[in-house]
Amino acid sequence: MASIHLQNIVKRYGAFTGVQHMSLDIQDEEFLVLLGPSGCGKTTTMRMIAGLETPTEGNIVIGGEVVNEIDARDRDVAMVFQGYALYPNMSIYENIRFPLRMRGVPAAEHDRRIRQAADMVELGSFLDRKPGALSGGQRQRAALARAVVRQPQVFLMDEPLSNLDAKLRASMRVQIKHMQRQLRVTTVYVTHDQIEAMTLADRIVIMNKGAIQQVGTPDQIYSDPANTFVAGFIGAPPMNLIDGTAQNGRFTAPGITAPCPRHLRGKITLGVRPEDCRVGGDNVQGTVYGVEPTGDMTYLTVQAGAKQVEIKAARDFRADIDVAIGIGFDPAHLYFFNEAGDRIREGA
Amino acid sequence: MMASVRKTRGESLLLRYIVLGSWAAVCLLPILWFLTVGFRPRTEIITPQPIYWPNWSLDAWYLLTSDWPIAQYLRNSVLAVAGSVVIDLILAIPAAYALSRYEFKGREDIGFYILSTRMMAPAIVAVPIFFLFRNMGLLDTVWALMLIYAAINLSLVTWIIRSYMLDIPKELEDAARTDGAGDLTILREIIVPACLPGIITAAVIAAIFAINEFLFTLLIASTSKAYTMSVALANFTGGSDGVIYNAIALVSFLAFVPILILVILIQKHLSRGLTMGAVKG
Repeated sequence: MASIHLQNIVKRYGAFTGVQHMSLDIQDEEFLVLLGPSGCGKTTTMRMIAGLETPTEGNIVIGGEVVNEIDARDRDVAMVFQGYALYPNMSIYENIRFPLRMRGVPAAEHDRRIRQAADMVELGSFLDRKPGALSGGQRQRAALARAVVRQPQVFLMDEPLSNLDAKLRASMRVQIKHMQRQLRVTTVYVTHDQIEAMTLADRIVIMNKGAIQQVGTPDQIYSDPANTFVAGFIGAPPMNLIDGTAQNGRFTAPGITAPCPRHLRGKITLGVRPEDCRVGGDNVQGTVYGVEPTGDMTYLTVQAGAKQVEIKAARDFRADIDVAIGIGFDPAHLYFFNEAGDRIREGA
Repeated sequence: MMASVRKTRGESLLLRYIVLGSWAAVCLLPILWFLTVGFRPRTEIITPQPIYWPNWSLDAWYLLTSDWPIAQYLRNSVLAVAGSVVIDLILAIPAAYALSRYEFKGREDIGFYILSTRMMAPAIVAVPIFFLFRNMGLLDTVWALMLIYAAINLSLVTWIIRSYMLDIPKELEDAARTDGAGDLTILREIIVPACLPGIITAAVIAAIFAINEFLFTLLIASTSKAYTMSVALANFTGGSDGVIYNAIALVSFLAFVPILILVILIQKHLSRGLTMGAVKG
């Protein structure tokens, strides 16, 4: 069990900066998710914690110890990889045993611990198989068992579910969360899937272009985004971001109008989530562009001027395209961002 | 409609068999012909009309076993070849690992340099090598052949194994490292088993080249102490007896059989990817 502190971490590859001046405190037993688009530096950050990459600047502290100079093999960190990375020539039993052998765990304990770990991921009956003879989900569970078997201080998971199909992903997600709560091991989890991030995390770190955009609980990230990047990244469909102008307590853009704080002036961006919009109202005057029923709700896209606004409508909502339609916003859930994309908060 | 499709499919299959069968015949016929030459009397080898069905005879076999130490030649060949392959693998596996994984300055240049030694005409180094081995007192020994064969094939073996290692997902090593393994353990327990097909392929190719090596063997071997099958063949081409074709055919065949067995062995490994299942696939 350990806390992790990243102190002003920089990682450069020649002229390219992968991670820039990143500071982050990860609490003991916390489930932290690094979320961002591909190439945002989240995997690099994780690999630095694992010891597979060395930071160009800054310190990494695990369990109160600066580990910059400590090799990956000597850090008490277990990692689960996107491609499972099971050793193809070894049986599942030997795969799970490998970290125990490498770390000099007494041989007498091996069998008990391997079976315990395998049972935890419900893989007990596959121990004598080779990885090639398992399905994707089973391989991923084997990789998890290999990570938990040695009871490390820290779990690192690098997009562990991205190679699985949607249904399996959902069940593995629950399993991972349950396991983390059960073992109470500090966990850093990298993903580009916001649903995984929202469902798994105690706290989410949103990254873009090597820099942290926002750190917070899933609720904070969703309901209090710090900038347009975070607002546009979280939510499915994501928040509508509408460029327009503010004057005299009124936000206007072609076909769109909304109340805004009186002190706002000039070019700003309005953010409104599809779930905070309703059919009927006068905030958007446009035409129906598309209707997509999903069963439990209907996605409605409205064309207003050059902008398309997405709305979550009732599940029985239907309309033909090009029909005139009015949309209302929930005035309590409007977000405003300045030209740089940063959030303009009440009273600021 | 279906019937016509099926017919064309049947026809194309037939055509395929005809083409492949013809090609197989073209490849196999000389070998079979050779074999009949080995088992016919000398009088039936050079004739105005070819004799397709000879009077089978073991003349050549008796000649070989009575007048020539053919078992010794075979033993020399096997020893020199096997020894050279072992030397190659011991040197090439760590070299290939370093070339495929470690980041260091000039890595590509070193890799290319290693391969380029293969491109040199062997005759260029023949004389210096002769003196080198003479000074070391290794002339006319199987040990010298072992070293020579190993040196000739080392670049190729390194290069083949390296290309297999490049195909091993880096994640496997990262996983082993976070699991607590050091470089040598990773090489021994993860990398070598994962690229075993490549290692076997490289070893067989090296063995084939070594069995066929002639120039340096001729240079270094001067008596039956170090004569190998390839050089022994040359012994049947001169002297007062003239060219003894049936003996040549038989020795060639004896030299050819081990290669055939080796090739059949790698065929299985060539078509098999052992890393399958390691990473999503």
